[in-house]
Amino acid sequence: MKTLVLIAFTFWFTSLMVMAQGFEVQTCNEAPDLYASAKISELQSILDQLTHNKVPGAVAAIWDESGYWEISSGYSKIEGQVPMQTCHLHYIQSITKTYMAVSILQLSEEGKIALDEPFIHYLPSNLTDGIPNSDKITVRMLLNHTSGIREYNDDPTYVTRLLQNPNRIFQPEEYLDYIRGKKPDFEPGSKYSYRNTNYLILALIAEKITGNHKAYMKEKIFKPLGLKNTFYRIEQGDSYGDKLVNSYWDRYSNSILENVSVLQNSNVVSMIGDDGTITTPKEAVIFLKGFIEGKLLSESSMEMMQEWVLNRDGKPVYGLGLNTTLFQGFEGIGHSGGGLGSGSQLYYFPKKDLYIFLAVNMGTVTQSPIHKEVEKILDEVYRVILN
Amino acid sequence: MGKINAMKTTTMLIVFCFLLSWNQAIAQSENQKNYRNFPIVLTLQFHALSMPIKDMKSNLKNVGFGIGTEVSHNGSHNWAQQFDIIWIKNRGIGNGILFSTQTAWRPMVVGNVYSEVKAGIGYMIGFRPSESFTQKDGNWISVGKKGKGMLTLPLGIGMGYYNHSQNMFVSPFLGYQFMLVKNYNLDLPFVPQSLLQMGGRIHPDYSKLGEN
Repeated sequence: MKTLVLIAFTFWFTSLMVMAQGFEVQTCNEAPDLYASAKISELQSILDQLTHNKVPGAVAAIWDESGYWEISSGYSKIEGQVPMQTCHLHYIQSITKTYMAVSILQLSEEGKIALDEPFIHYLPSNLTDGIPNSDKITVRMLLNHTSGIREYNDDPTYVTRLLQNPNRIFQPEEYLDYIRGKKPDFEPGSKYSYRNTNYLILALIAEKITGNHKAYMKEKIFKPLGLKNTFYRIEQGDSYGDKLVNSYWDRYSNSILENVSVLQNSNVVSMIGDDGTITTPKEAVIFLKGFIEGKLLSESSMEMMQEWVLNRDGKPVYGLGLNTTLFQGFEGIGHSGGGLGSGSQLYYFPKKDLYIFLAVNMGTVTQSPIHKEVEKILDEVYRVILN
Repeated sequence: MGKINAMKTTTMLIVFCFLLSWNQAIAQSENQKNYRNFPIVLTLQFHALSMPIKDMKSNLKNVGFGIGTEVSHNGSHNWAQQFDIIWIKNRGIGNGILFSTQTAWRPMVVGNVYSEVKAGIGYMIGFRPSESFTQKDGNWISVGKKGKGMLTLPLGIGMGYYNHSQNMFVSPFLGYQFMLVKNYNLDLPFVPQSLLQMGGRIHPDYSKLGEN
């Protein structure tokens, strides 16, 4: 009986500690890569402004005419004041969609998937039953968000379950239950509307075809590009050698940040295709650079990925796993990511032949008064980098 | 400013309801000797951030408690005004304190068993589940689990047993409370929360207090 009580107490105490303290994160000995860019000190001062305006930590990684360079500011963990370093791992959230799209295009090049076939051809009926228009929605429509499928993240039952249960792992198939039988947003192919559900389904397709799409992505993307610190479908509670940053969220939109590392981790562990990757700033840039330089896909696939669909204002917005946006008047091609405890951007600027990765360890999916100042400072980052 | 106004308005409403009910209780006490106003209401409160009648398992993980009282609105005692203070325990989203008043309608079902429908207004101070920080002059300062006050709209159903023939008695009840918590954050203007409630009303015979 005493043993049982002791075990129960230990379990309770351990779970309390995990809930309270987030993840261990250590400083690393590796020095950041700094080439002779004249912009380093100016950008460092801007990142410092960011972390003096209530952002815990920030990193920037750039590949420009002077080569690769990276800087950081603030803390990877506020408790214990562990400095943010460029060797730390960041949740890149929806930037994962670019990796997922590359995997699907690779499968297409191997003849294992046809982009213009309805996606139900690749999944068993127990997964597709109840998804409206599933016989009309093609793989391409999932890739460029023109499927009209509902967003699972918008379901209040899902959102409340997620927030109430910070340790809970949602199964990929479970997410589909939140959209089954629900009226589609629009007829397939008629409009663009960004939906995480599209990439969840793509991941399930990739899993069905490859048997293990995590291993496939590692073999076909991470290995060819030499990415040793990029991890997809991460393990719950693993701090990856104490290099994974802690995550902070302004729950009540009142500029107070709480450590939500456990919730953030469980959330990212649960998601596939639409999210689920951690990486270092350098490896994020190496991925985009390798992809743009054609090291992963054929020229025709690369062109297809940059066939933009238009938003409601008639402006080009999204290709296949790629987004196009204007920064300081310059076209950026890449993706952004936002989560409960992080925010990131990974873009290539063709006119400048420049790559940039930016990340903060603070939630960006719900609004905070802190964000207003952050947006202004981010504009400054792009002004310095691009002008 | 809005938060302070919401707190003031809710507090004033709760005090107003209490004073109004007190007057009614005095009026009733003159001609209703069997019914006893102002019982001590003790409850166990199982809380969750959840849609109505969803994720009930989460409710059972989070046990808090409440104390309150109530007063009858009419002579047949099927309308009552409740006043509660509830300590919400919730490891997932953070603990809280809820101050509320609700008007309850209690039609009798069979014998001394009644059903209940209630609605009202409350003010919840929601804390955070883990240590939190704010920045001053570039330095991070711990603010513990500091939370936020939010207007709350409770709506509930329940059932209970009531028998006022004894000298001193306890009447048990069960209830389910759905609440909309206002201004949780800038993206979630209303957040659904729920309470499974079980408890008892202890009905002291206040008329004996004046006797020697």
